[in-house]
Amino acid sequence: MFSLLPVLLLAVSAQASKLTLQSPRFVVSDSTGSQLRSEPVSLVHKSSTPVELSKTDILKLTFQVIEKESGKGVQPHQTFIRFYDEKSNEEGIQPVRVSAGGKAKFDLNMNKPPLSLPPTPTGNPLKVTLLIGSPLHDPISIELFDLILPRSQAAPEHPGEASYRPLPPIEHTFRPDHKLPPRPISLVSAVLTLAPWVVLLSLWSQVAPRPARLFSPSILPFILSLGAFEGLLFWYWVDLKLGQVLLYGAILTIPTVFAGKTALASIGSRRLGKK
Amino acid sequence: MPPKATQAAPQNAFLTLWKAYNDNTSDRLKFIDVFLFFLMLSGIVQFAYCILVSNFPYNAFLSGFGSTVGQFVLAASLRSQVNPDNKDEFKDVSPERAFADFALGSIVLHFFVYNFLG
Repeated sequence: MFSLLPVLLLAVSAQASKLTLQSPRFVVSDSTGSQLRSEPVSLVHKSSTPVELSKTDILKLTFQVIEKESGKGVQPHQTFIRFYDEKSNEEGIQPVRVSAGGKAKFDLNMNKPPLSLPPTPTGNPLKVTLLIGSPLHDPISIELFDLILPRSQAAPEHPGEASYRPLPPIEHTFRPDHKLPPRPISLVSAVLTLAPWVVLLSLWSQVAPRPARLFSPSILPFILSLGAFEGLLFWYWVDLKLGQVLLYGAILTIPTVFAGKTALASIGSRRLGKK
Repeated sequence: MPPKATQAAPQNAFLTLWKAYNDNTSDRLKFIDVFLFFLMLSGIVQFAYCILVSNFPYNAFLSGFGSTVGQFVLAASLRSQVNPDNKDEFKDVSPERAFADFALGSIVLHFFVYNFLG
């Protein structure tokens, strides 16, 4: 028994859910009251010629909302007229008061335009749509006509709008590659840089004190270990890693210290002994 | 007479200085002096190249120039500590100790130079 109830309700609602308009009509009259245009609104296709209003005209729209099957007047929960500008994507919604019997009247007086009208700075036609919604019926949306209003001021720009526009694309510029100087200059510079060595060796040949005991067994190990250190550093430059050179250097320090102590002690005693 | 004397005066002074230096400096000190002169020349040439031609491998310039300057400082301090005329200044630093300092400092300097040379 109970399972039949929702099915019955569904059947009832399916039957009575369609709405329609009865005698929809619009009238355009000017400030003196004489009618400029008066025609019925077709529910199937919108009016072919747009409705044009000047600054003093009045547009009156009248209709009655009824159920399609029974013809009874219905007061729907939501009745709106939507003015939509396709090009600028601005829209305005104006609610329409509908009586309990479904009769509705909408006045658009251009002397006192409602706040819900979208701005029309360019004179583009606004698409006017009637939207009716009700929880007991299917909603309907009817395109009435195109409306051309007198030019208005443009919509005010939001103060923060400039910061939301897309920024110019980032163009990365990189420092240009280094240029090598031309070859002859490089060669001359290389020769100039090595020239001081020639000066050094030539002057040293004139001035060098004779190292008397360079190869004596007390001094030679020190000289060799110093040379080994230099060789280790050169090896580090070409091949070794930091950890390795530090390790080898630490290992090499031990014989160097001992050799140095003996070598310098012998030189010192020689110096003091001679003195 | 006076013009000739004033013209010759700076030349004379320089020649006198050079003669005194040559006669009074021992061979060992001259040895170090030649080394110092070589380092100065080398540094000047590298710096001139960097300014005039290109500083392209900048790290190479820095390490090369830094090596001449650092070695100059170490050699100059060695010379002043080894000079017998300065014995009173450096009472507790024997020439051998000075040389050991010089060797250690040079090795550390060379390590950093090689590190940066690239």
